Amino acid sequence: MRISWKNTQGRTALLAGTGLLAMTAAVATRAQSAGSSVWSGAYTAEQADRGKAAYATNCAACHGPTLTGGDSAPPLSGGVFLNNWNGTTTGDLFARIHDTMPASDPGSLGGKTVADIEAFIFQANGFPAGTTPLPSDPQLMTGTKILGTKPAG
Amino acid sequence: MPSLSRRSLLLSTGATLLLARAGFAQRAPGWTPPPIPPHDPKVDTEWRHYAADQANTRYAPLDQINAANFNNLEVAWRFKTDALGNRKEYQFEATPLLVKGRLFLTAGARRDCVALDAATGEMLWMYRMDEGQRAANAPRQLSGHGCSYWTDGTIERVLFVTTGYRLVSLDAATGIPDPDFGDKGAIDLKSDFDQEIDPLTADVGLHATPLVVKNVIVVGASHSAGDVPATRFNVKGYVRGFDVKTGKRLWTFHTIPKKGEFGYDTWLDGNADQAGNAGVWAQMSADEELGLVYLPVELPTGDEMGLYRHGPALFGESLVAVDIMTGQRKWHYQFVHHGLWDRDIPCAPILCDIPHDGKMVKALAQPSKQAFLYVLNRETGKPIWPIVERKVAAGDVPGEWYSPTQPFPTKPPAYDRQGVTPDDLIDFTPELHAQALDLVKNYVIGPLYTPPTLSKVSGPFGTLIAPGVQGGTNWPGGCYDPETCKVYVYSKTVIQLVGIVPNTDKNVSDFAYVHGMAGIAPQAQRAMGAANEYAGFRPPPPPPPGAPKGPRLGPLTVQGLPLVKPPYGRITAIDLTKGDIAWQIAHGETPDNIRNHPALKGLKIPRTGREGNLGPLCTKTLVICGESGFFTNAQGVRGAMLRAYDKATGEEKGAVYIPAPQSGSPMTYMLRGRQYIVVAIGGGNYSGELVAFKLPKES
Repeated sequence: MRISWKNTQGRTALLAGTGLLAMTAAVATRAQSAGSSVWSGAYTAEQADRGKAAYATNCAACHGPTLTGGDSAPPLSGGVFLNNWNGTTTGDLFARIHDTMPASDPGSLGGKTVADIEAFIFQANGFPAGTTPLPSDPQLMTGTKILGTKPAG
Repeated sequence: MPSLSRRSLLLSTGATLLLARAGFAQRAPGWTPPPIPPHDPKVDTEWRHYAADQANTRYAPLDQINAANFNNLEVAWRFKTDALGNRKEYQFEATPLLVKGRLFLTAGARRDCVALDAATGEMLWMYRMDEGQRAANAPRQLSGHGCSYWTDGTIERVLFVTTGYRLVSLDAATGIPDPDFGDKGAIDLKSDFDQEIDPLTADVGLHATPLVVKNVIVVGASHSAGDVPATRFNVKGYVRGFDVKTGKRLWTFHTIPKKGEFGYDTWLDGNADQAGNAGVWAQMSADEELGLVYLPVELPTGDEMGLYRHGPALFGESLVAVDIMTGQRKWHYQFVHHGLWDRDIPCAPILCDIPHDGKMVKALAQPSKQAFLYVLNRETGKPIWPIVERKVAAGDVPGEWYSPTQPFPTKPPAYDRQGVTPDDLIDFTPELHAQALDLVKNYVIGPLYTPPTLSKVSGPFGTLIAPGVQGGTNWPGGCYDPETCKVYVYSKTVIQLVGIVPNTDKNVSDFAYVHGMAGIAPQAQRAMGAANEYAGFRPPPPPPPGAPKGPRLGPLTVQGLPLVKPPYGRITAIDLTKGDIAWQIAHGETPDNIRNHPALKGLKIPRTGREGNLGPLCTKTLVICGESGFFTNAQGVRGAMLRAYDKATGEEKGAVYIPAPQSGSPMTYMLRGRQYIVVAIGGGNYSGELVAFKLPKES
């Protein structure tokens, strides 16, 4: 992933007045910086592995073992899913899962489990794994977009 | 006790319930009911039933909003449902009723019932019932399709079915339960049901509106999806009529006949005794003059497996006309014999008077998941145009019973793709088509009613069916123009895999075979919230050495594109004076992933439409329908469009932005000289919202 230093951190650097602080900020926000997307590695493979098991326990009964949806629940992979979430953020999807799922006990899954499940959904949709885990706090996820199609370049 | 202001009553929802249930809210000092908003019965129109009227036309002869000014529509008000229930809701399917300047609907994750000022969207009252675990266990949750209205000219009642399957009757002026109805305003629908079921865990509920007809309120039943049914002894989906004033049960219609009743002998080996489901989860229609209610019945237990319901098995997938006052069957028509494709009748038949053979006929038109519009004489149940029995193939599932024939209407023609042939597959480019042909080699394909196949790791992986198990047309149904005798119906075009796999785990299901895919252990389906200790993941057994790779996981796509050719969603106008299709258009903007797909770069692709579940609205000149999915518009903004088409030609006449897809069906009314269009929207990251449009004054 390429980050434009000037665009994403220039303001912080100016305000902080020290290069060191600016660099720290850059590292901390690297995975979530403005303009980043699920195509630049928004989760880790280990996270998706945990998410696979959590999905099977909490989601598969309604959304299907292969995320294709069921009679009472929409698909979580493929065109219908990608089009309806295209342009939202990873935090939007996190909030939807966290607040409304599983239908049997909404709000019962902790942030870590929700992030794991979301990571598994991303993996199933072909988004690449990266080195920074998907955060378990949606407030840290506002800058990473879900894009149904890989951006050019 | 402190006096209650209207504001505190609205805010303190718990207090509302407490007072209402105790029956003394009306006597609370200082409290006055919310005023009835200004309205003029001489010029205003009303919308007293889910789809406008008992005929389910979803038609209003209004033309203030028309082709010339549709694009000028502005948002009159929004009503966000987030504050209702204990969490946001994203599946807001209600259509409001409009009576005397007030909208009545159900909304929110808990399915509260609310009254709004129809001119401003301001809440007048709300009613909630916290049903705890009983609601969490319910098979059909969230806001539901709405509520029903009854009046004798003086008393006004709003009735709805709660998530936990109670029928509630409220005073339309205050939202306070009617103390003379049932037990303090509610009936427990899990009792007095001609069968003993557990009130907390039984797999039955209803998200459709009950049907008010004369002084009777008719209530159906719905259950969990039946692809992997927990048990073949499920709750039977009987239909009941109740006295709308007292809640007394008047009649019960056994959708699965008891021994000695008509239809029992269409089941082999007494299978009717044990089978469950066969509910009416769809909306219903009624003709007060004929004294008939029309019941669209779903399958008995097992959406794709008929192992324990051998025979044609009435009244599965049948439309049944029963007497309003007694529930006695007058006639029935079975659209699918012993169905294996989940072809529940998903929506209400549209009652229509049409010219046929030189005279006017009282008819009905039934949209369906299989994309046939069945047109019957609604007095007799006889087809208007011949419906013929044609031979269909049998399948290979051990223990299954196959109907040798299925009914095929000769008119009107099917309004969406039926069955799967190479010609139905994606062909934007020869390469994509070749990949699609290669993909389907591993599946059974064939015409409509090709049976589900055993899914094998070595192939075939199952049967590809079109329409998919959700249709075609689903719960919103169609609309109807009584002036030109045209039905307008939305349908989606989907190819779906139906495979059957053996099941030996009694903790998953007591069916020997269930819907599934080879190589993946079947997983229990259950009432949404029912505790299930077996819901945990059980990995599939490892494939034997040297075994073929097995079916691909995930959706059936070619380079991420739908396997089927577009359109993926369409609106069809069907002329019932001739039994022909008058016009058909793709409905819904081309999805982002198709517009941006690298394999399609440089190709000019007409609007593809979108798959979804949509109900159109018919006015004096227009057919109006929102889109079913998000897309990114020219301004780079996510959202959808509410579109208007010339009802005579299908030509698009206008479109206005809605920030999320249509999730309920639009309705319209005149109020104090202004026409409003109101529609429920939501989905994805956008929680449920009711949005009202009207024209600016200068228009």
